[in-house]
Amino acid sequence: MLDWFQHFGRFWIDLSASFGRAHLFLGRLLLSLPSLLVRFGLVVRQLYASGVLTLSIVLVSGLFVGMVLALQGYNTLVGFGAEESLGVVVALTLVRELGPVVTGLLFAGRAGSAMTAEIGLMKATEQLAGLEMMAVDPFKRIFAPRFLAGFIALPCLAAMFSAVGVIGGYLVGVEVLGVDDGAFWSQMKAAVEFGDDVVNGLIKAVVFGFVVCWIAIFQGSDCIPTSEGVSRATTRTVVYSSLAILGLDFVLTAIMFNV
Amino acid sequence: MPVAEDGSVTDALVEIRELHFKRGRNKIFNGISMDIPRGLVTTIMGPSGTGKTTLLKMIGAQLKPEKGTVNFDGQNVHRLGRRHLFDVRKRMGMLFQSGALLTDLSVFDNVAFPLREHTDMPESLIRHLVLLRLHAVGLRGARDLKPAQLSGGMARRVALARALILDPEIIMYDEPFTGQDPISMGVLVELIATINEALNLTSLIVSHDIGEAMSISDYVVIISDGAVVQAGTPEQLQQSSSEWVQQFLNGKADGPVPFQYPAPDYHNDLFSGDDSQEKR
Ligand SMILES: Nc1ncnc2c1ncn2[C@@H]1O[C@H](COP(=O)(O)OP(=O)(O)OP(=O)(O)O)[C@@H](O)[C@H]1O
Ligand SMILES: [Mg+2]
Repeated sequence: MLDWFQHFGRFWIDLSASFGRAHLFLGRLLLSLPSLLVRFGLVVRQLYASGVLTLSIVLVSGLFVGMVLALQGYNTLVGFGAEESLGVVVALTLVRELGPVVTGLLFAGRAGSAMTAEIGLMKATEQLAGLEMMAVDPFKRIFAPRFLAGFIALPCLAAMFSAVGVIGGYLVGVEVLGVDDGAFWSQMKAAVEFGDDVVNGLIKAVVFGFVVCWIAIFQGSDCIPTSEGVSRATTRTVVYSSLAILGLDFVLTAIMFNV
Repeated sequence: MPVAEDGSVTDALVEIRELHFKRGRNKIFNGISMDIPRGLVTTIMGPSGTGKTTLLKMIGAQLKPEKGTVNFDGQNVHRLGRRHLFDVRKRMGMLFQSGALLTDLSVFDNVAFPLREHTDMPESLIRHLVLLRLHAVGLRGARDLKPAQLSGGMARRVALARALILDPEIIMYDEPFTGQDPISMGVLVELIATINEALNLTSLIVSHDIGEAMSISDYVVIISDGAVVQAGTPEQLQQSSSEWVQQFLNGKADGPVPFQYPAPDYHNDLFSGDDSQEKR
């Protein structure tokens, strides 16, 4: 019983210590961002690694999610004779919710875990210590470019996810299920507001990008420098990022759409 | 000569004073003090696990001591702000035990890395300097390989080329000789001595190779149990009356130097039937 209390206490102490470290880490990370202005090439390379390489999985997922939305939406709407609104349903769901959230989850699994593993291995093989000894700040050279790149990449990926999703919805809704072509697009155009829907969706994506990259980079640099430590940190990145995305999505939706 | 008759140092580049350091419950340094003489080759020797690597990391201010000071050229490295610390580190070269090469860059780019980070040299000059250093370590032909394609010994030599590229004042080698074949070993020993002479460097070597170490160093420090056992020129140590030093230098298994990591009594451990291992 005492043992249990001890474990419980240690767990909370460790957790809050790591929470504190994560915030200090974030502070230094943000302070290192201005140094990237003169070396944007570093960011471009990371944009390729985290953005372009995630693109294919995002596009394929977007297409299928859009097609499923059209199928499900059609079945519900047709009962009310409102199948012409299919375009609205598909577009709003994607732009407001599924675009940012699913892209965020995919990004955490594909790019976030890769970032953690890469940085963790750099730590385990003393590359980070080596940089420090060469008077190169790992925050400026390694962490900040990855952070900024993820931060830029996620909104772009989310936008592409939504765009492809709408195309998938069009293919199934109009080409297969026979919804009227003109109604599909015109109702969508009338109902989706740029300011309220598109911008809010992008804000979500920006927030998710921030959080996923923060978690991924922190976990990598904070891991125990062994192969087991790196693998655990990678798992933690995916788990924490996913939970953070879903939790934040609720909070953001409440703030944005329910005032 | 900055080393006096009695083995004390008169002109020190690095002064370590009363350093205390713990890893968990494991006390690694117990008020250790030593001087690294300027312009000479110094070797630190000691049983495996006594904290030689840790000591190098302290000099580079990667680890902070609990108590005590490390002065580099008169500056306490643990008191410096980040920018000044980085300025001091540019004057230090460090060869890690593992090499610590950047795995996503080629050999050439690894060696060029410090130059590209810290100077505005034109690429033609960088190429020149890098090839010069790579040639010195015998790896000019390996410039396009990735670190994963190198053997351990080759990686260590690339790391040496990289550590030298900024012309540091002190270079710290963590076990440079392990994993080298006799030929590269000879070349390396030669190289370390030549570099020290030609560039007017201070070299600090951590090594187990007593023969090599004694032959190239001007000053040797033997540490054990968190303190200095003896320091002096190789001749002074060879003539040491300490049984400990003699055992260590001659590599005998019997004597005052423990071979075992601190452990409970062997007989008791084997036959006590203690199940504390499983419980943990
Ligand atoms: N990250 C760490 N966490 C906890 N203990 C450590 C850590 N690194 C080293 N130690 C401990 O510190 C002591 C000194 O380690 P260090 O690597 O400095 O030894 P060393 O003298 O360089 O040994 P070797 O000659 O084998 O390289 C060892 O007893 C080791 O158990
Ligand atoms: Mg060592």
